[in-house]
Amino acid sequence: MKKIEAIIQPHKLDEVKEALIGIGVEGITISEVRGHGRQKGHIETYRGTEYKVDLLPKVKLEMFVSDARAEQIIGALGTAARSGKIGDGKIFVSTIDDAVRIRNGDRGEAAL
Amino acid sequence: MGTETKTTRLKPPDKRGCSSGMMLAVAACIFVVASVPGMGQEPKPDPAGLNTGDKTTVVDAGGNAFVITEPADKTAPDYAQKKKDFDEFQAQAAKEPLALKLADATGHIRVATNFAWTLNTGYLVLFMQAGFALLTCGLVRKKNAGHLMMLNFAAYVFAFVAYYAVGYAFQFGAVAVNAAPGNLGGTPTLNHFLLGSGFWGFLGGKGFFMVGPAYDVGSNVYALFEVVFMETAGYIIVGAICERISFWSFLLCELFIGAILYPFFGCWVWGGGWMSQLGNTMGLGHGYVDFAGSTVVHAVGGFCAMALSVILGPRLGKFGRDGKPRAFPAHNLVYVVTGTFILLFGWMGFNPGSTLGATDLRISVVAINTNLAAISGAATAMLFWYWKFGKPDVTMACNGMLAGLVAITAPCAFVGPTAAFIIGILAGLVVCLGVLFNDNVTKIDDPCGAISVHGFCGVLGAICLGLFADGTYGAGWNGVGATTYLGQAGRGVTGLLYGDRKQFLVQVMGAILCAAWAFGATFIVFKMVNALKPMRVSAEVEEEGLDVPEFGLSGYPEDAISVTAS
Repeated sequence: MKKIEAIIQPHKLDEVKEALIGIGVEGITISEVRGHGRQKGHIETYRGTEYKVDLLPKVKLEMFVSDARAEQIIGALGTAARSGKIGDGKIFVSTIDDAVRIRNGDRGEAAL
Repeated sequence: MGTETKTTRLKPPDKRGCSSGMMLAVAACIFVVASVPGMGQEPKPDPAGLNTGDKTTVVDAGGNAFVITEPADKTAPDYAQKKKDFDEFQAQAAKEPLALKLADATGHIRVATNFAWTLNTGYLVLFMQAGFALLTCGLVRKKNAGHLMMLNFAAYVFAFVAYYAVGYAFQFGAVAVNAAPGNLGGTPTLNHFLLGSGFWGFLGGKGFFMVGPAYDVGSNVYALFEVVFMETAGYIIVGAICERISFWSFLLCELFIGAILYPFFGCWVWGGGWMSQLGNTMGLGHGYVDFAGSTVVHAVGGFCAMALSVILGPRLGKFGRDGKPRAFPAHNLVYVVTGTFILLFGWMGFNPGSTLGATDLRISVVAINTNLAAISGAATAMLFWYWKFGKPDVTMACNGMLAGLVAITAPCAFVGPTAAFIIGILAGLVVCLGVLFNDNVTKIDDPCGAISVHGFCGVLGAICLGLFADGTYGAGWNGVGATTYLGQAGRGVTGLLYGDRKQFLVQVMGAILCAAWAFGATFIVFKMVNALKPMRVSAEVEEEGLDVPEFGLSGYPEDAISVTAS
C-alpha cells in the first residue's frame, strides 16, 4: 500500500479531482493549508509599507492506494495539477504498513 | 438691538436691498419682540410647534423679508427710506388683511420645508456612523474586529449623553444672539452666553439637558442636526487609537469630546461666538467661516485623535527596532469600500444639509461640489499610489475620497465646481503625504489614517475656503457687508484669489487655532488621565487581540480556536 500526499495550487483542485475520479480513485481527503516552498512568498506594500506574503494558501490531498495503482494515480495527478509555473506544488509517496476498516475490521488492501 | 444686524453660519444667501437689510436674524428678533409682551421678558419656547413659522419668516428668493419692520435707529443714514418702506407696508397691510393671513400660512410652510430638509439630512449624517464603523473595522486586524465595532457603537451613545447634558448648551446656548438660524424660525430662546457677551461670546449658557428654553421645536431640529455632527468628531478618534486603547479610557474620551472639546470650538465658530464675529470686531473678512465643519468637526476630531495617539504610543510591533514601520494589512476590504460609500452618501446630508433649509437653493451647488471633491480626491490618491508604489491601494483610494470630502466641507457653499475639483486634488495629495509622513517621520501610529484624513485635510479645507471662495454666496454672512462688500452689492464670502486677503488671513489663523485647541486640550487632559491610570491595555491583551479580554467575545467567534492572524 502507498500513501500519496500532494500539495497543489488551490485553483487546480477541481481539475485534479476530476482526473482522479476519472481513473477510478475512490477515497480522497483534502485540507486547506498554508505554506511556502523554495520561492518563499513575495513582497507587497500596504499603505506604503512593505510586507511579506510568505505563507500562501495551498491545498493538500491525501490518498491511500494499492501498490499496483500508485504510478497511474501519480501520473494523472501530476498532469492535472501542472501549470508549468513556480508554485505548482509537490507529490510525496510513502509505504503504508497496514489499514483497518473500522466498520467491519477488514485489514490491508481490502480495507482501502 | 445689536442682535438684529448680525447673522449666522446658516443664514440664507441674501442679495438684499436696503429694505431687506435685517432679514438674517430678523426672524429671531421678531420672535423675541413679538411673541412676548413687553421687552426684557424671555421669549417662550414652542414645544408644540404651533407658533413657529408665520408671516415674519416669509422671504422671497433674494432673501427679502415680506414683513418690513420699523427701523429702530433714527440716526442711520437710510432711516428716512426705511421709515417710508415701513409706513407703506403698514398701509398695504391694513388694506389687505387676507394677504397677511396667507403670509402666515406661507411662513409656516417655509419653516416646515426647512424642518423636513434639516431633519432628513441629519438622518443621513447619522448613517455615516455605520459607514465609519465598517471602514475602521475593515482596516484593522481580524483579532480586533469586535473591539472596533464596540468603540464605534459606544462613541455614539456616550458622546450623545455628554452633548445632551451640557454640550448642546455650551455650543448653541447663545446662538440667537449672533447666529440665529432664520431658516428654522430663529431659536430665539437660546440667547445667553455663559462666558462673554455680544460679539465676544466664548460659551453658550442655555439649554442644559435640552429642557426649558431648549424644549422647543426649532431648537430640537437644530439639536438633532448638530448632535450628529458632534458624533462625527466623536468617532473620528477611533481610527487612530484603536487596537490598543482600553474601553474605560475610550469612554472618558467620548464624554470629553461631547461635553467640552467639540462644543467650545463649535460655539466660537457656529454658536455666534467670537471667531465668527471677527469680521465685525477686527475687520477680518466675514469672520472665521467654516460652512459645514472641515475644522469645527473634522480637524477637531483629527487633532484630538493625534494627541491621543501620541499619548498611547504606537501598536506593538508597528515600528521595528530600526524604527521602520511595519504593515498590518486590513482584514476586510469589502467593509472598507462599503463603509467609504456609506460615508459619501451621508456627506450628501452633511454638506447640503448645513444650509439648514431647502429654501436655500444653493444646496444643489453644495451637493455637486461635495461629489466633485470626493472623486478628484479619490482619483488623486489612487493614481499617486499607483505611480509611487506600482500598485494602487484601495485603502488609500478610500482615504483619498474621504480627504476630498473633508477638505470641501468648509468651502462647499462658497466655491464653484473647478475650485471644488482642485480642492479634492490637493486633499488627495495631502492625505497620501500625511500617511507617509506619520509612518516615516513623526512615527505616530494611525491605523486608519484618521489624522491625515480629518486633521490635515480639515485644516486644508478651511484654508482653501480663504483661497477659492468666489463671492457668489454668503452676502451678509456673520453680519458683514449686508448690502455691499468689497464695493459690490450682494458680494458674499470672498477668498484671496478673488481679492479678499483678510478672509484668507482669518481662515489660516482660525484653522491653526483649531488644531492647537484640539491637540492641546486633549493632550493636557489625557496626559493627566494617563498618569493616574494607564489608558493602554497590557501587552498580552494587545498581542491576543482586544475582543475577548475587553468584551468576552471575538468579532469572529469561529476563529477563536484557530491561529490569531497578526
